[in-house]
Amino acid sequence: MPRNRFTEKLAKVLNSNPFKGFFKLNRLRPPGAVKEDIFMELCIRCARCIVVCPYGSIHRADVYEKLQIGTPYIFADKKACYLCMKCPPVCPTGALDPKLSSPENVRIGIAVINQETCLNYLYYEEEIEGVSKGYAQLCNTCNNVCPFTDEAIYMEKHILPVVTDKCTGCGICVEKCPTTPKSINVYPTGMGVKAQAGFYNRKQNFTGENTTEGTLHGDELIKQKQKINSYGAKPDFEYNLETYESRDEWQEQ
Amino acid sequence: MKIKTMRRTAQILTLAAIFIIPFMNVWELYFVKGTFYSMDIGNVAIADPLAVFQSMFASGKINAYMIASLIIPIALMIFFGRIWCSWFCPYYLFAEWVESLRRKLGFRDFRPEYTKTMPSRASRVRFLFLFLGLIVMGVIGVPVLNLISAPGIISSQALVVVKFGYVTFELAIVLVILFFELFYFRYWCRFFCPTGTFLSMFRWKRGMAVQKVRNDCSKCHSCIKSCPVIINPMTEGESLHCNNCGDCIDACQDNLNKQTIKFTFK
Repeated sequence: MPRNRFTEKLAKVLNSNPFKGFFKLNRLRPPGAVKEDIFMELCIRCARCIVVCPYGSIHRADVYEKLQIGTPYIFADKKACYLCMKCPPVCPTGALDPKLSSPENVRIGIAVINQETCLNYLYYEEEIEGVSKGYAQLCNTCNNVCPFTDEAIYMEKHILPVVTDKCTGCGICVEKCPTTPKSINVYPTGMGVKAQAGFYNRKQNFTGENTTEGTLHGDELIKQKQKINSYGAKPDFEYNLETYESRDEWQEQ
Repeated sequence: MKIKTMRRTAQILTLAAIFIIPFMNVWELYFVKGTFYSMDIGNVAIADPLAVFQSMFASGKINAYMIASLIIPIALMIFFGRIWCSWFCPYYLFAEWVESLRRKLGFRDFRPEYTKTMPSRASRVRFLFLFLGLIVMGVIGVPVLNLISAPGIISSQALVVVKFGYVTFELAIVLVILFFELFYFRYWCRFFCPTGTFLSMFRWKRGMAVQKVRNDCSKCHSCIKSCPVIINPMTEGESLHCNNCGDCIDACQDNLNKQTIKFTFK
Protein backbone atom coordinates (compact mmCIF):
# COMPACT_ATOMS: atom_id res chain seq x y z
CA MET A 1 0.00 0.00 0.00
CA PRO A 2 1.44 3.35 -0.94
CA ARG A 3 2.05 5.59 1.99
CA ASN A 4 1.52 9.29 2.00
CA ARG A 5 1.13 12.05 4.51
CA PHE A 6 -2.52 11.26 5.16
CA THR A 7 -2.06 7.55 5.83
CA GLU A 8 0.88 8.41 8.06
CA LYS A 9 -1.32 10.64 10.20
CA LEU A 10 -4.07 8.03 10.27
CA ALA A 11 -1.62 5.34 11.32
CA LYS A 12 -0.25 7.57 14.03
CA VAL A 13 -3.75 8.05 15.46
CA LEU A 14 -4.85 4.43 15.19
CA ASN A 15 -1.64 2.77 16.33
CA SER A 16 -1.73 4.55 19.65
CA ASN A 17 -4.80 5.12 21.77
CA PRO A 18 -5.91 8.64 20.78
CA PHE A 19 -7.65 9.19 24.10
CA LYS A 20 -4.66 9.06 26.38
CA GLY A 21 -0.98 9.76 26.45
CA PHE A 22 -1.14 13.54 26.30
CA PHE A 23 1.81 15.37 27.70
CA LYS A 24 2.48 19.00 28.28
CA LEU A 25 5.53 20.81 29.53
CA ASN A 26 5.50 21.43 33.29
CA ARG A 27 2.31 19.41 33.75
CA LEU A 28 3.18 16.49 36.01
CA ARG A 29 1.45 13.57 37.66
CA PRO A 30 1.73 13.25 41.45
CA PRO A 31 4.80 11.39 42.74
CA GLY A 32 4.71 7.63 42.39
CA ALA A 33 2.55 7.73 39.28
CA VAL A 34 2.76 4.65 37.08
CA LYS A 35 3.21 4.94 33.31
CA GLU A 36 0.87 7.50 31.81
CA ASP A 37 -1.42 5.15 29.85
CA ILE A 38 -1.76 2.75 32.80
CA PHE A 39 -2.31 5.72 35.06
CA MET A 40 -5.26 6.80 32.93
CA GLU A 41 -6.74 3.30 33.21
CA LEU A 42 -6.30 3.10 36.96
CA CYS A 43 -7.16 6.61 38.09
CA ILE A 44 -10.80 6.80 39.18
CA ARG A 45 -10.65 10.57 39.78
CA CYS A 46 -11.42 10.16 43.48
CA ALA A 47 -9.31 13.21 44.36
CA ARG A 48 -7.80 11.68 47.47
CA CYS A 49 -4.30 12.77 46.48
CA ILE A 50 -5.71 16.30 46.15
CA VAL A 51 -7.22 15.97 49.62
CA VAL A 52 -4.02 15.00 51.40
CA CYS A 53 -1.66 17.38 49.59
CA PRO A 54 -0.72 19.86 52.34
CA TYR A 55 0.66 22.44 49.90
CA GLY A 56 -2.26 22.44 47.48
CA SER A 57 0.12 21.52 44.68
CA ILE A 58 -2.08 18.85 43.11
CA HIS A 59 -4.96 20.23 41.09
CA ARG A 60 -7.99 18.61 39.49
CA ALA A 61 -7.68 18.75 35.71
CA ASP A 62 -10.23 20.97 34.02
CA VAL A 63 -11.91 20.66 30.62
CA TYR A 64 -8.92 21.94 28.64
CA GLU A 65 -7.01 18.79 29.62
CA LYS A 66 -9.38 16.78 27.34
CA LEU A 67 -10.33 13.31 28.63
CA GLN A 68 -7.90 13.67 31.51
CA ILE A 69 -10.54 15.91 33.12
CA GLY A 70 -10.79 15.10 36.81
CA THR A 71 -7.38 13.43 37.08
CA PRO A 72 -4.71 14.94 39.33
CA TYR A 73 -2.00 17.17 37.91
CA ILE A 74 0.82 19.26 39.30
CA PHE A 75 1.41 22.46 37.38
CA ALA A 76 5.07 22.99 38.15
CA ASP A 77 5.28 26.57 36.94
CA LYS A 78 2.53 27.59 39.38
CA LYS A 79 3.21 25.38 42.37
CA ALA A 80 5.63 22.50 42.39
CA CYS A 81 5.61 19.22 44.28
CA TYR A 82 7.52 19.42 47.56
CA LEU A 83 7.99 15.64 47.79
CA CYS A 84 6.28 15.20 51.16
CA MET A 85 5.19 11.73 49.93
CA LYS A 86 1.73 11.86 51.47
CA CYS A 87 -0.18 11.05 48.29
CA PRO A 88 1.18 7.65 47.12
CA PRO A 89 -0.18 5.64 50.09
CA VAL A 90 -3.73 7.03 49.83
CA CYS A 91 -4.37 6.06 46.20
CA PRO A 92 -7.10 3.37 46.26
CA THR A 93 -6.32 1.76 42.89
CA GLY A 94 -2.54 1.80 42.73
CA ALA A 95 -2.32 4.52 40.10
CA LEU A 96 0.24 6.01 42.48
CA ASP A 97 2.62 3.30 43.67
CA PRO A 98 1.77 2.89 47.39
CA LYS A 99 5.15 1.36 48.23
CA LEU A 100 7.06 4.45 47.21
CA SER A 101 8.10 6.28 50.35
CA SER A 102 11.50 7.83 49.72
CA PRO A 103 11.50 11.11 47.82
CA GLU A 104 14.78 10.40 46.02
CA ASN A 105 13.14 7.51 44.13
CA VAL A 106 10.42 9.70 42.63
CA ARG A 107 10.69 10.05 38.85
CA ILE A 108 7.83 12.18 37.63
CA GLY A 109 9.83 14.06 35.07
CA ILE A 110 13.18 15.54 34.27
CA ALA A 111 14.27 19.16 34.27
CA VAL A 112 15.88 20.55 31.14
CA ILE A 113 17.70 23.88 31.10
CA ASN A 114 17.24 26.22 28.19
CA GLN A 115 20.76 27.51 27.70
CA GLU A 116 19.65 30.40 25.50
CA THR A 117 17.76 32.19 28.27
CA CYS A 118 19.40 30.90 31.47
CA LEU A 119 21.06 33.89 33.11
CA ASN A 120 24.18 31.97 34.11
CA TYR A 121 24.78 30.63 30.63
CA LEU A 122 24.31 34.13 29.21
CA TYR A 123 26.73 35.48 31.81
CA TYR A 124 29.28 32.85 30.90
CA GLU A 125 28.92 33.69 27.24
CA GLU A 126 29.53 37.36 27.94
CA GLU A 127 32.49 36.50 30.06
CA ILE A 128 34.08 34.50 27.26
CA GLU A 129 33.35 37.03 24.57
CA GLY A 130 34.22 39.98 26.75
CA VAL A 131 31.24 41.96 25.46
CA SER A 132 28.37 42.92 27.76
CA LYS A 133 24.82 42.61 26.48
CA GLY A 134 23.27 43.67 29.76
CA TYR A 135 22.65 40.17 31.11
CA ALA A 136 25.52 40.23 33.51
CA GLN A 137 23.89 38.83 36.61
CA LEU A 138 24.54 35.62 38.41
CA CYS A 139 21.66 33.40 39.48
CA ASN A 140 22.03 30.31 41.58
CA THR A 141 18.34 29.75 42.21
CA CYS A 142 17.76 26.32 40.69
CA ASN A 143 20.76 24.86 42.48
CA ASN A 144 19.77 26.45 45.77
CA VAL A 145 16.11 25.42 45.81
CA CYS A 146 16.65 21.88 44.55
CA PRO A 147 15.85 19.35 47.32
CA PHE A 148 18.89 17.36 46.12
CA THR A 149 21.36 20.20 45.76
CA ASP A 150 24.60 19.22 44.04
CA GLU A 151 23.13 15.82 43.21
CA ALA A 152 20.23 16.52 40.89
CA ILE A 153 21.62 19.89 39.79
CA TYR A 154 25.26 20.78 40.13
CA MET A 155 27.18 23.82 39.05
CA GLU A 156 29.71 23.06 36.40
CA LYS A 157 32.78 25.33 36.71
CA HIS A 158 30.91 26.80 39.70
CA ILE A 159 28.62 28.71 37.36
CA LEU A 160 26.76 26.58 34.80
CA PRO A 161 23.80 24.58 36.19
CA VAL A 162 23.63 21.02 34.85
CA VAL A 163 20.82 18.54 35.55
CA THR A 164 21.81 14.95 36.28
CA ASP A 165 19.70 11.80 36.14
CA LYS A 166 19.05 12.03 39.87
CA CYS A 167 16.47 14.70 39.04
CA THR A 168 13.10 13.66 40.49
CA GLY A 169 11.13 16.11 38.36
CA CYS A 170 9.52 17.79 41.34
CA GLY A 171 9.58 21.14 39.56
CA ILE A 172 10.65 23.39 42.43
CA CYS A 173 13.37 24.85 40.20
CA VAL A 174 10.71 25.68 37.60
CA GLU A 175 8.52 27.41 40.16
CA LYS A 176 11.40 29.53 41.43
CA CYS A 177 13.21 30.28 38.17
CA PRO A 178 13.28 34.10 37.94
CA THR A 179 13.25 34.46 34.16
CA THR A 180 10.19 34.78 31.94
CA PRO A 181 9.71 32.52 30.11
CA LYS A 182 11.15 29.93 32.46
CA SER A 183 14.68 28.88 31.58
CA ILE A 184 14.27 25.50 33.23
CA ASN A 185 11.32 23.26 32.38
CA VAL A 186 10.23 19.84 33.55
CA TYR A 187 9.38 17.25 30.92
CA PRO A 188 6.92 14.75 32.45
CA THR A 189 8.02 11.12 32.33
CA GLY A 190 6.97 9.61 29.03
CA MET A 191 7.21 12.85 27.09
CA GLY A 192 10.07 12.91 24.63
CA VAL A 193 12.94 15.22 25.52
CA LYS A 194 14.51 16.51 22.35
CA ALA A 195 17.73 17.46 24.06
CA GLN A 196 18.20 13.85 25.10
CA ALA A 197 17.15 12.27 21.80
CA GLY A 198 19.60 10.04 20.02
CA PHE A 199 22.23 10.92 17.48
CA TYR A 200 19.89 10.53 14.49
CA ASN A 201 17.60 13.20 15.87
CA ARG A 202 20.46 15.50 16.73
CA LYS A 203 21.96 15.17 13.28
CA GLN A 204 18.63 16.10 11.80
CA ASN A 205 18.43 19.20 13.93
CA PHE A 206 22.05 20.06 13.30
CA THR A 207 22.01 19.83 9.55
CA GLY A 208 18.38 20.75 9.15
CA GLU A 209 17.95 18.11 6.48
CA ASN A 210 14.40 17.11 5.73
CA THR A 211 14.23 13.45 6.48
CA THR A 212 11.95 10.96 4.81
CA GLU A 213 11.82 8.83 7.94
CA GLY A 214 8.10 9.34 8.33
CA THR A 215 7.24 7.60 5.09
CA LEU A 216 9.88 4.86 5.21
CA HIS A 217 9.38 1.49 6.82
CA GLY A 218 11.24 -1.73 7.41
CA ASP A 219 14.37 -2.30 5.36
CA GLU A 220 14.12 1.07 3.61
CA LEU A 221 14.21 2.82 6.96
CA ILE A 222 17.22 0.81 8.08
CA LYS A 223 19.01 1.64 4.83
CA GLN A 224 18.20 5.30 5.31
CA LYS A 225 19.56 5.21 8.83
CA GLN A 226 22.70 3.42 7.71
CA LYS A 227 23.48 6.28 5.37
CA ILE A 228 23.98 8.61 8.30
CA ASN A 229 27.53 9.24 9.19
CA SER A 230 29.19 11.73 11.40
CA TYR A 231 31.97 12.58 8.97
CA GLY A 232 32.60 16.29 8.99
CA ALA A 233 30.53 16.97 12.10
CA LYS A 234 32.61 18.56 14.80
CA PRO A 235 32.59 16.50 17.99
CA ASP A 236 31.40 18.54 20.97
CA PHE A 237 34.05 17.64 23.51
CA GLU A 238 34.18 19.63 26.64
CA TYR A 239 37.61 21.11 25.93
CA ASN A 240 38.05 21.41 22.23
CA LEU A 241 41.59 21.07 21.07
CA GLU A 242 42.49 23.04 18.04
CA THR A 243 44.93 21.21 15.87
CA TYR A 244 47.38 23.22 13.85
CA GLU A 245 48.89 22.18 10.60
CA SER A 246 52.09 23.84 11.50
CA ARG A 247 53.45 25.70 14.44
CA ASP A 248 55.95 28.45 14.19
CA GLU A 249 57.91 27.42 17.25
CA TRP A 250 58.18 23.77 16.48
CA GLN A 251 59.09 23.76 12.86
CA GLU A 252 61.47 21.02 12.06
CA GLN A 253 64.63 22.18 10.53
CA MET B 1 -41.80 9.40 62.80
CA LYS B 2 -42.16 9.55 59.08
CA ILE B 3 -39.56 7.73 57.05
CA LYS B 4 -39.19 10.78 54.86
CA THR B 5 -38.05 12.88 57.82
CA MET B 6 -35.34 10.37 58.67
CA ARG B 7 -34.35 10.11 55.07
CA ARG B 8 -34.15 13.88 54.62
CA THR B 9 -32.01 14.14 57.77
CA ALA B 10 -29.60 11.55 56.40
CA GLN B 11 -29.49 13.34 53.06
CA ILE B 12 -28.83 16.76 54.60
CA LEU B 13 -26.14 15.31 56.85
CA THR B 14 -24.47 13.74 53.81
CA LEU B 15 -24.65 17.04 51.96
CA ALA B 16 -23.09 18.78 54.96
CA ALA B 17 -20.44 16.07 55.21
CA ILE B 18 -19.17 16.58 51.68
CA PHE B 19 -18.29 20.16 52.69
CA ILE B 20 -17.15 19.41 56.24
CA ILE B 21 -14.80 16.55 55.29
CA PRO B 22 -12.62 18.64 52.95
CA PHE B 23 -12.69 21.44 55.51
CA MET B 24 -11.31 19.03 58.11
CA ASN B 25 -8.73 17.87 55.58
CA VAL B 26 -7.58 21.43 54.98
CA TRP B 27 -6.94 21.54 58.73
CA GLU B 28 -4.91 18.35 58.28
CA LEU B 29 -7.38 16.07 60.06
CA TYR B 30 -7.27 13.03 57.86
CA PHE B 31 -9.52 10.69 59.82
CA VAL B 32 -12.15 10.81 57.12
CA LYS B 33 -10.81 11.58 53.67
CA GLY B 34 -11.84 11.24 50.08
CA THR B 35 -14.89 11.76 47.93
CA PHE B 36 -17.82 9.57 47.00
CA TYR B 37 -15.69 7.82 44.39
CA SER B 38 -13.57 6.46 47.19
CA MET B 39 -13.48 7.31 50.86
CA ASP B 40 -11.53 6.30 53.95
CA ILE B 41 -13.16 6.38 57.38
CA GLY B 42 -10.36 5.64 59.79
CA ASN B 43 -8.81 2.58 58.22
CA VAL B 44 -12.01 1.36 56.61
CA ALA B 45 -11.99 1.84 52.85
CA ILE B 46 -15.21 2.43 50.93
CA ALA B 47 -15.37 2.92 47.19
CA ASP B 48 -17.91 3.31 44.43
CA PRO B 49 -18.09 -0.29 43.11
CA LEU B 50 -18.55 0.86 39.52
CA ALA B 51 -15.49 3.12 39.68
CA VAL B 52 -13.33 0.31 41.06
CA PHE B 53 -14.77 -2.20 38.59
CA GLN B 54 -13.99 0.12 35.69
CA SER B 55 -10.40 0.54 36.73
CA MET B 56 -10.04 -3.24 37.21
CA PHE B 57 -11.62 -3.84 33.82
CA ALA B 58 -9.56 -1.25 31.98
CA SER B 59 -6.18 -2.07 33.48
CA GLY B 60 -6.52 -5.75 34.30
CA LYS B 61 -4.93 -5.10 37.67
CA ILE B 62 -6.49 -5.94 41.00
CA ASN B 63 -5.04 -5.15 44.38
CA ALA B 64 -6.16 -5.98 47.88
CA TYR B 65 -7.16 -2.40 48.61
CA MET B 66 -9.66 -2.40 45.72
CA ILE B 67 -11.28 -5.61 46.94
CA ALA B 68 -11.39 -4.37 50.54
CA SER B 69 -13.06 -1.14 49.54
CA LEU B 70 -15.82 -3.07 47.76
CA ILE B 71 -16.87 -5.06 50.83
CA ILE B 72 -18.88 -2.42 52.70
CA PRO B 73 -20.89 -0.91 49.81
CA ILE B 74 -21.79 -4.31 48.40
CA ALA B 75 -22.68 -5.71 51.83
CA LEU B 76 -24.91 -2.67 52.42
CA MET B 77 -26.46 -3.22 49.00
CA ILE B 78 -27.10 -6.92 49.68
CA PHE B 79 -28.69 -6.45 53.08
CA PHE B 80 -30.42 -3.09 52.82
CA GLY B 81 -31.03 -2.67 49.11
CA ARG B 82 -30.15 0.45 47.19
CA ILE B 83 -30.35 2.78 50.19
CA TRP B 84 -27.26 4.60 48.92
CA CYS B 85 -29.37 6.26 46.22
CA SER B 86 -32.35 7.41 48.21
CA TRP B 87 -30.84 7.99 51.64
CA PHE B 88 -27.41 9.42 50.91
CA CYS B 89 -26.84 10.39 47.29
CA PRO B 90 -26.66 14.20 47.03
CA TYR B 91 -27.90 14.14 43.47
CA TYR B 92 -31.10 12.38 44.55
CA LEU B 93 -31.69 15.18 47.06
CA PHE B 94 -31.20 17.81 44.36
CA ALA B 95 -33.56 15.93 42.05
CA GLU B 96 -36.20 15.89 44.79
CA TRP B 97 -35.73 19.61 45.32
CA VAL B 98 -36.09 20.27 41.59
CA GLU B 99 -39.31 18.29 41.62
CA SER B 100 -40.74 20.26 44.54
CA LEU B 101 -39.58 23.51 42.91
CA ARG B 102 -41.51 22.52 39.83
CA ARG B 103 -44.59 21.86 41.93
CA LYS B 104 -44.25 25.24 43.65
CA LEU B 105 -43.90 27.00 40.31
CA GLY B 106 -47.29 25.51 39.42
CA PHE B 107 -46.24 23.48 36.39
CA ARG B 108 -48.60 20.71 35.43
CA ASP B 109 -47.96 17.22 36.78
CA PHE B 110 -45.39 15.52 34.60
CA ARG B 111 -45.17 12.23 36.37
CA PRO B 112 -45.65 9.33 33.97
CA GLU B 113 -48.55 7.01 34.72
CA TYR B 114 -47.67 3.56 36.02
CA THR B 115 -48.28 0.75 33.59
CA LYS B 116 -47.27 -2.86 33.93
CA THR B 117 -44.63 -2.71 31.19
CA MET B 118 -42.97 0.38 32.66
CA PRO B 119 -40.39 -1.31 34.95
CA SER B 120 -39.19 -3.76 32.31
CA ARG B 121 -38.85 -0.98 29.75
CA ALA B 122 -36.88 1.11 32.20
CA SER B 123 -34.70 -1.90 33.00
CA ARG B 124 -33.90 -2.37 29.35
CA VAL B 125 -32.84 1.26 28.95
CA ARG B 126 -30.67 1.46 32.02
CA PHE B 127 -28.85 -1.83 31.57
CA LEU B 128 -28.29 -1.10 27.88
CA PHE B 129 -26.87 2.30 28.83
CA LEU B 130 -24.56 0.76 31.41
CA PHE B 131 -23.48 -1.93 28.95
CA LEU B 132 -22.75 0.58 26.19
CA GLY B 133 -20.91 2.76 28.69
CA LEU B 134 -18.73 -0.17 29.74
CA ILE B 135 -17.99 -1.00 26.10
CA VAL B 136 -16.97 2.60 25.40
CA MET B 137 -14.91 2.56 28.56
CA GLY B 138 -13.19 -0.66 27.48
CA VAL B 139 -12.39 0.68 24.01
CA ILE B 140 -11.03 3.99 25.27
CA GLY B 141 -9.37 2.39 28.28
CA VAL B 142 -10.25 5.29 30.56
CA PRO B 143 -12.92 5.04 33.31
CA VAL B 144 -15.18 7.49 31.49
CA LEU B 145 -18.36 6.52 33.37
CA ASN B 146 -16.91 8.41 36.32
CA LEU B 147 -17.40 11.57 34.28
CA ILE B 148 -21.18 11.16 34.54
CA SER B 149 -21.29 9.76 38.06
CA ALA B 150 -23.26 12.57 39.73
CA PRO B 151 -22.56 11.91 43.45
CA GLY B 152 -18.82 11.58 42.89
CA ILE B 153 -18.68 14.75 40.84
CA ILE B 154 -20.71 16.72 43.39
CA SER B 155 -18.52 15.66 46.30
CA SER B 156 -15.26 16.18 44.44
CA GLN B 157 -16.41 19.62 43.32
CA ALA B 158 -17.26 20.44 46.94
CA LEU B 159 -13.70 19.45 47.80
CA VAL B 160 -12.25 21.64 45.05
CA VAL B 161 -14.40 24.59 46.17
CA VAL B 162 -13.34 24.25 49.80
CA LYS B 163 -9.68 23.69 49.04
CA PHE B 164 -9.01 26.00 46.10
CA GLY B 165 -12.09 28.21 45.80
CA TYR B 166 -13.00 27.39 42.21
CA VAL B 167 -14.98 24.73 40.39
CA THR B 168 -14.03 22.72 37.33
CA PHE B 169 -16.01 21.85 34.24
CA GLU B 170 -17.41 18.63 35.69
CA LEU B 171 -19.94 20.67 37.68
CA ALA B 172 -21.46 21.79 34.38
CA ILE B 173 -22.14 18.13 33.50
CA VAL B 174 -24.14 17.71 36.71
CA LEU B 175 -25.96 21.02 36.21
CA VAL B 176 -27.00 20.01 32.68
CA ILE B 177 -28.27 16.65 33.95
CA LEU B 178 -30.10 18.43 36.76
CA PHE B 179 -31.62 20.97 34.37
CA PHE B 180 -33.37 18.27 32.38
CA GLU B 181 -34.95 17.01 35.61
CA LEU B 182 -37.32 19.97 35.13
CA PHE B 183 -38.79 18.37 32.05
CA TYR B 184 -38.43 14.63 32.53
CA PHE B 185 -39.49 13.12 35.84
CA ARG B 186 -36.43 11.59 37.59
CA TYR B 187 -35.10 10.48 34.23
CA TRP B 188 -31.46 10.28 35.35
CA CYS B 189 -31.98 8.03 38.37
CA ARG B 190 -34.54 5.87 36.59
CA PHE B 191 -32.87 5.36 33.23
CA PHE B 192 -29.24 6.40 33.13
CA CYS B 193 -27.31 6.69 36.38
CA PRO B 194 -24.55 4.06 35.89
CA THR B 195 -23.66 3.91 39.58
CA GLY B 196 -27.24 3.10 40.61
CA THR B 197 -27.66 0.54 37.84
CA PHE B 198 -24.43 -1.19 38.75
CA LEU B 199 -25.38 -1.22 42.44
CA SER B 200 -28.81 -2.65 41.77
CA MET B 201 -27.24 -5.74 40.22
CA PHE B 202 -26.18 -6.81 43.70
CA ARG B 203 -29.76 -6.86 45.00
CA TRP B 204 -30.45 -9.91 47.14
CA LYS B 205 -34.00 -11.18 47.38
CA ARG B 206 -33.79 -11.73 51.12
CA GLY B 207 -32.50 -8.27 51.92
CA MET B 208 -34.60 -5.33 53.08
CA ALA B 209 -37.52 -4.66 50.76
CA VAL B 210 -40.93 -3.04 50.75
CA GLN B 211 -43.70 -5.57 51.16
CA LYS B 212 -47.46 -5.51 51.55
CA VAL B 213 -48.10 -7.56 54.66
CA ARG B 214 -51.93 -7.48 54.54
CA ASN B 215 -53.99 -8.82 51.73
CA ASP B 216 -56.97 -6.54 52.09
CA CYS B 217 -55.99 -2.91 51.68
CA SER B 218 -58.30 -0.17 50.51
CA LYS B 219 -56.65 -0.19 47.05
CA CYS B 220 -56.33 3.57 46.91
CA HIS B 221 -53.11 3.20 44.87
CA SER B 222 -51.55 6.12 46.70
CA CYS B 223 -48.31 4.11 47.03
CA ILE B 224 -48.08 3.75 43.25
CA LYS B 225 -48.75 7.47 42.81
CA SER B 226 -46.00 8.37 45.27
CA CYS B 227 -43.31 6.02 43.94
CA PRO B 228 -40.37 7.98 42.47
CA VAL B 229 -39.15 5.06 40.33
CA ILE B 230 -42.62 4.24 38.91
CA ILE B 231 -43.11 0.71 40.12
CA ASN B 232 -45.94 -0.91 42.01
CA PRO B 233 -44.66 -1.12 45.62
CA MET B 234 -47.40 -3.60 46.56
CA THR B 235 -46.11 -6.33 44.27
CA GLU B 236 -42.71 -5.23 42.99
CA GLY B 237 -40.93 -4.42 46.23
CA GLU B 238 -38.05 -6.73 45.30
CA SER B 239 -37.61 -5.08 41.90
CA LEU B 240 -34.14 -3.88 40.93
CA HIS B 241 -35.63 -0.42 40.52
CA CYS B 242 -36.74 -0.03 44.12
CA ASN B 243 -34.28 2.05 46.12
CA ASN B 244 -36.01 1.62 49.50
CA CYS B 245 -36.85 5.31 49.87
CA GLY B 246 -39.99 4.50 51.85
CA ASP B 247 -42.20 7.11 50.18
CA CYS B 248 -44.88 4.47 49.58
CA ILE B 249 -44.93 3.60 53.30
CA ASP B 250 -45.44 7.27 54.17
CA ALA B 251 -48.15 7.68 51.56
CA CYS B 252 -50.19 4.64 52.58
CA GLN B 253 -53.36 5.72 54.42
CA ASP B 254 -54.08 2.23 55.71
CA ASN B 255 -50.80 2.26 57.60
CA LEU B 256 -52.38 4.74 60.07
CA ASN B 257 -54.83 2.08 61.25
CA LYS B 258 -53.04 -1.18 60.69
CA GLN B 259 -49.67 -2.03 59.26
CA THR B 260 -50.19 -2.66 55.57
CA ILE B 261 -46.95 -1.91 53.74
CA LYS B 262 -43.57 -1.83 55.40
CA PHE B 263 -39.88 -2.73 55.12
CA THR B 264 -39.30 -6.40 55.74
CA PHE B 265 -36.40 -8.83 55.80
CA LYS B 266 -37.23 -12.26 54.52
